[in-house]
Amino acid sequence: MKTEERADLAAQAIVRRAEERFRAHWMEIATWTDRFFAKLLVGQWLFAIAIALLVSPYAWEGKTRTVHVHVWFAIFLGAAINAFPVALAVRRPGWVVTRHVIAAAQMLWSALLIHLTGGRIETHFHVFGSLGILAFYRDWPVLVTATLMVVADHLIRGLFWPESVYGIASPEWWRFLEHAFWVLFSVVFLAMSCLRALKEMRMMAERGAHIEALSESEWRRSSVLERVEKVSA
Amino acid sequence: MTAVTTDAPLACLFIPDMRTEWSGWLAFGIVWVLTLAPGFALLWAYKMRPGEADGAPDVWPVGTRIARNRDRATLVLFAHPQCPCTRASLAELARLMARFEGRLGANVVFLRPLDVGGDWDSSDLWRRASTIPGVTVVRDDDGVEAARFHASTSGATVLYDVQGRLLFSGGITSARGHEGDSAGLQRISSLLRTGKADRSDAPVYGCSMRHEARPALAIQKETP
Repeated sequence: MKTEERADLAAQAIVRRAEERFRAHWMEIATWTDRFFAKLLVGQWLFAIAIALLVSPYAWEGKTRTVHVHVWFAIFLGAAINAFPVALAVRRPGWVVTRHVIAAAQMLWSALLIHLTGGRIETHFHVFGSLGILAFYRDWPVLVTATLMVVADHLIRGLFWPESVYGIASPEWWRFLEHAFWVLFSVVFLAMSCLRALKEMRMMAERGAHIEALSESEWRRSSVLERVEKVSA
Repeated sequence: MTAVTTDAPLACLFIPDMRTEWSGWLAFGIVWVLTLAPGFALLWAYKMRPGEADGAPDVWPVGTRIARNRDRATLVLFAHPQCPCTRASLAELARLMARFEGRLGANVVFLRPLDVGGDWDSSDLWRRASTIPGVTVVRDDDGVEAARFHASTSGATVLYDVQGRLLFSGGITSARGHEGDSAGLQRISSLLRTGKADRSDAPVYGCSMRHEARPALAIQKETP
């Protein structure tokens, strides 16, 4: 084999190894983030139940009280939101589907928490906080899924219960775009940071592959020298 | 615990072992969506279901203990002291009072049925209403005042002008226990600012104030 061919093969091996290292690193991040979200989703469920019990434990009709429907929604709708993403995070961490389902579930949690806290403006920050945490995946399409959930929520409610979103009965058809815009504003910059993080991860993987190749060739050379020394001795 | 080695979900369709598993997750996903969609629809339907509204008297009722302002509009909000949904109505009232400081006087009238315990009406809602500038808190024994104003749902709000003529009757939240802009709030703001509004009512969202001692609370109509 000629020297040039050997150099080509060595370069290809380094590229393959760099890709392997990159994928392994990303898988590790995705797996860790899936498990982190599984805990967060369960935590949010417990928090929602606590909120419902503290803020609206009972509904009243004159002197008669009954358990408030918010308590049942927190328990059962909360459990339903978590069932699929938590199962995926436990059984299939790192899978691309897992993180998209988690993104959708996290946005549903924003919607449920906003309802349970009586539409308080402060709870709306949960949406933006969640987008930031979803950026842990360093996978920008996950942020697109989250954005689409917000748009779908506003679009559907805008059609059937416009007052619950915009406070007026007949808003302009484009009003949902105004809300979605601010989510998109945040998502664009988070997506840019995801792409940058991936680029850095790729560079790290390439450097790692180079170092591995160098140490391997060093090891080979030293073993050859050792053998030569043994033979000459 | 197994991590799937491929990142491409479509690849699962072409690998027999994974095809079965993919089908399982797909079925789970469909069930998930079919559970959540009606779940959220039920939640929204509950939040958007208005309470009873019987229409307030066209002029300020005679015999009422609630004081009417002679120099500015008077707003009266009827509340159930334990209703969690009314927290949002009070939050909106606080915003309204801040926006029209000095141009609006308000009363929050808390229901107190006759045969309830001593501290039944000393709730956080009462305390919260007491802290809103420009608001007078009134106790309504057996719902007599609520009956005079035909209010049967907590959060029912009426607005009268200086002559005692009804300007608005309805709710000031957009949904049950939901803070934020609402048609009622916009109409009251418009009436106070320009004297006009597209409508003089809005749905009321909150707990029912009807109680056993006076089952026909809102039916009792009085003429001025």
